[in-house]
Amino acid sequence: MIEYLIDGPLWYFSLAVFSVGVLWQLARILFSASKTDLSVARGSASSGALRNVFSRFIPHHEIAPRIRVQVIAGYMFHLGLFALLFFAAPHVLFLEQNLLGFGWTPMPHWAFIVASQFAFFGLLILWLRRMLNSVSRLISTLDDHVAAILTFVVMLTGCLALLKGFTELRLLHRFTVELLLIYFPFSCLMHTFTFIPSRAFTGAWFGRRGIDA
Amino acid sequence: MSERLEKGLNVLRAEMDKKVMSFFSSCVRCGICAESCLFYTETDDPRYTPIYKTEPMRKLWKNEYSFWGKLKSKLGISEPMTEADLSDWEELVYDGCSMCGRCSMVCPVGVDISMVIFKVKHALAVAGFSPEGLVGATKRAVEIGSPMGITMKAVLATIKHAEENTGLKIPLDVEGADYLALLSSNEIALYPEYLESLAKIFDHAGVSWTLSSAAYEATNSGLQIGNKAIAGQLVQRVVDGAEKLKVKNVISPECGHAYTALRWEGPNFIGKAYPFRVVHILELLDELQAQGKLKTTGMETDRLTFHDPCSIVRRGGIQAQPRNLLRPITENFVEMTDHGSMNWCCGGGGGVSSNERAEDLKHTAFNRKKSQIKEIGVDAVVTACSNCRMVMEEGLEYNEMDIPLLGLTELIAGHLAEKPR
Amino acid sequence: MVEFFKKHSLGSTILLLAALLLLIFLLLPQAASAAAPQQHKDFPQGVSAANPGSDLWREIRQRDLPVEGITQVQGVDSGVLINSQGDRWARFRIDNPVSYTPAILLAVIAIIVLFYALRGKVGIEGGLSGRMVKRFTDYERVVHWTLAIVFLFLAITGLVLLLGRTLLIPLFGHHVFSLLASASKEGHNLFGPIFLVSLIMMLLSFARRNIYEKGDLTWLLKGGGFIGKGHVSGGFFNMGEKSWYWIVILVGLAISVSGLILVSPNLGQGRVIMAISHVVHVFGAIVLIAISLGHMYMGSIGTEGSMEAMKSGYVDINWVEAHHDRWARQVKENDEILSAEEFARLHGRKPESPDTATGKS
Repeated sequence: MIEYLIDGPLWYFSLAVFSVGVLWQLARILFSASKTDLSVARGSASSGALRNVFSRFIPHHEIAPRIRVQVIAGYMFHLGLFALLFFAAPHVLFLEQNLLGFGWTPMPHWAFIVASQFAFFGLLILWLRRMLNSVSRLISTLDDHVAAILTFVVMLTGCLALLKGFTELRLLHRFTVELLLIYFPFSCLMHTFTFIPSRAFTGAWFGRRGIDA
Repeated sequence: MSERLEKGLNVLRAEMDKKVMSFFSSCVRCGICAESCLFYTETDDPRYTPIYKTEPMRKLWKNEYSFWGKLKSKLGISEPMTEADLSDWEELVYDGCSMCGRCSMVCPVGVDISMVIFKVKHALAVAGFSPEGLVGATKRAVEIGSPMGITMKAVLATIKHAEENTGLKIPLDVEGADYLALLSSNEIALYPEYLESLAKIFDHAGVSWTLSSAAYEATNSGLQIGNKAIAGQLVQRVVDGAEKLKVKNVISPECGHAYTALRWEGPNFIGKAYPFRVVHILELLDELQAQGKLKTTGMETDRLTFHDPCSIVRRGGIQAQPRNLLRPITENFVEMTDHGSMNWCCGGGGGVSSNERAEDLKHTAFNRKKSQIKEIGVDAVVTACSNCRMVMEEGLEYNEMDIPLLGLTELIAGHLAEKPR
Repeated sequence: MVEFFKKHSLGSTILLLAALLLLIFLLLPQAASAAAPQQHKDFPQGVSAANPGSDLWREIRQRDLPVEGITQVQGVDSGVLINSQGDRWARFRIDNPVSYTPAILLAVIAIIVLFYALRGKVGIEGGLSGRMVKRFTDYERVVHWTLAIVFLFLAITGLVLLLGRTLLIPLFGHHVFSLLASASKEGHNLFGPIFLVSLIMMLLSFARRNIYEKGDLTWLLKGGGFIGKGHVSGGFFNMGEKSWYWIVILVGLAISVSGLILVSPNLGQGRVIMAISHVVHVFGAIVLIAISLGHMYMGSIGTEGSMEAMKSGYVDINWVEAHHDRWARQVKENDEILSAEEFARLHGRKPESPDTATGKS
């Protein structure tokens, strides 16, 4: 019964909430009001936007020494998670059989282990820093903690089910994934997508003022 | 709900555009912005974290624009915003933020934090939560025409003085001139050399220019306090003056926020594009130099550096020009470790210098500039913003450091070659 | 039988015997599993021994002596057909760590409970003053808690694997245990290397302050203040903290290295090294888990004001005086004591009297 629920209706429900929710949130942002800037532009807004979307991946050297922990742990977590999400063998197989109908070469087992260690280590450090640093503790909201813990639990259940011998462990992983998918559009996890418009808007603003950012 | 709270919240609602929505949706509270802010790095007080200063806006976004906020209000369990949500932020955005925009450069998800802080300031100003110093300055700007209470009489005295010193005629209210030059209050009261330098340089380069008795003041207290309506009113004075004299260009003086107000925000404040071009004095000098109309002679032998005014460089995009202008006249020029668009603010921008209450905090924040200047051991600091110049002169004096501040325009005026015949 | 030999030449007889030998080898597994050693009716009558396998077993086992044969198979220990040491190792594992661990851990917990009942929370004379001194940076606390969380996870999954058969199967049954064991094994192997990295981070950021110095011996002689009355003299870290630190580092490294050997069996190590690694791993872990229980107690409910050091990174000056008087002297000389208001300000609490923040306009 539970197996049917998790593999069937709940999975489709969470998938629907996720995709409709994300699209709705993005549309709400992109179709919100905005005023046209009446000042005469000095540079190109669109090239500024494009440049800023990519340039923000690398921190300015003036500030880098002060934010080393966030940058290193941040990259470890995000790259590790990205690799796990799209290149873990069970994920590739799952996507091929259930969603896409085609697959790609997954990463070898050792790479999976290394990627997940990066992701766990990075997320653990980021979350602990959030709790321990007085700035992040002051500005953090409940949402930030829920999102971090939920992501951690999803990764953990996935790794615990690595032996693929037990339906219960697989279902536990899938269930937490479904919770994450449902929570996603209404949380700060939306930054997965909204960092792009956010960087682009600011980049456009810099671009038309001719600022080298 | 009190009336002033409602007023403030309405401003925030009106300012909630797609940028702000994407900003709050993408912010993950990483705290990196704190490390870029001199009010945090010099005090270690987490409340000065830039994104924390936007909290009134974020709260409104959460309550009225986010899923959970809407759900909570449907269920009748939302926590409505109170007057404290605005009043508690007054000190943070007026005393603890110089609108330098360094945070907007470092945010990994690209939030233009200082833009949102300005919106919060706007709401606080409309709701009446602003420091007395700025309220007084704004009142003087509206009523007398200048935040420092400088009348046309004082301007005429400065003009007369400059004419005596230079032996040149300073044009006033000349219709059809190419350029209308504006002055900031500081330049009239503290640094009259600026006007003399303009006269010399324009005489040398053969530029047709004028001052206007209707529009001489470039300082915009409306921008500093965050009140867009007043800011628009002050910009309109300049537009009217420029239109009356039918000038093609208006020169923004060596004053950071005046440049932002005139060049970038002005048209948006008054709701229409200008019939003239606004050019910063450094841009104009750079153009004249490139055209070969500005020829200099002699070199400064002192070890000099350039302090990038935030509003002109980081938020204004005029970064190469001051360096182009300094290169031919300095032998011993050094950059500060962090310079250009990542320069540290003097600590007195965004109205902080006109806010007596913020005096102590301003001195603490200045420690950053102090160590930056100490690190490279210069004889003098060149800058191109009368406010930065004033704040740094005060700060260096407070720290008993004997390092003079020089205006860039003034420095160039001192190196003009023989007038080409 | 005799006629058989008469009819055939010597050569063909040898060939036949060779074929028989091969057959025996092939039938060995079945022979071993057969309940009764009854003679097969097709079995060649020429071999007289009742159980030909026993000779063979004796040859390859040689009782408990390690015997290595010759084989063309290239690999570690591939010349050993039966590893007799394995039995002894398995018996050792069940007789020692598996049997004693629950008792050891329960004893430690009992001692802690007893100590708390007798002595209560170790307080500070004059209570907490509210004036604070910075003890650990953000990074140091992040390192501590990373190591702590990873350690706890490894301890729990490790204990499931060690004690599951004796403790958990009777409680939850085979299915639940095998599921737990599978999950624990995957989790344990995955987090192990993270423990090593955190341990190295801990080594790099704390080692210098944990070097023993003059005065540490006095602390030891006075039993760390647990014997007798009053607190004992200490520097930034006292003798007890330093010793715990080095135990964590050294035992932690031993556990990590042995764990890496166990998790990667194809690095060329033989069965003996695997068995030794396992013993080092399990005993090291029991030592760390046992002491860490004491550490957790002392850091939280055991001592007034200690938890704050790893929470905010600051400690009360009275706490410093009580436990680290030599450091307290330094702190006072360098004027590092913060007022309660300053401490609150550094943690983002709004000033009590916001005379600057009232909207008067």
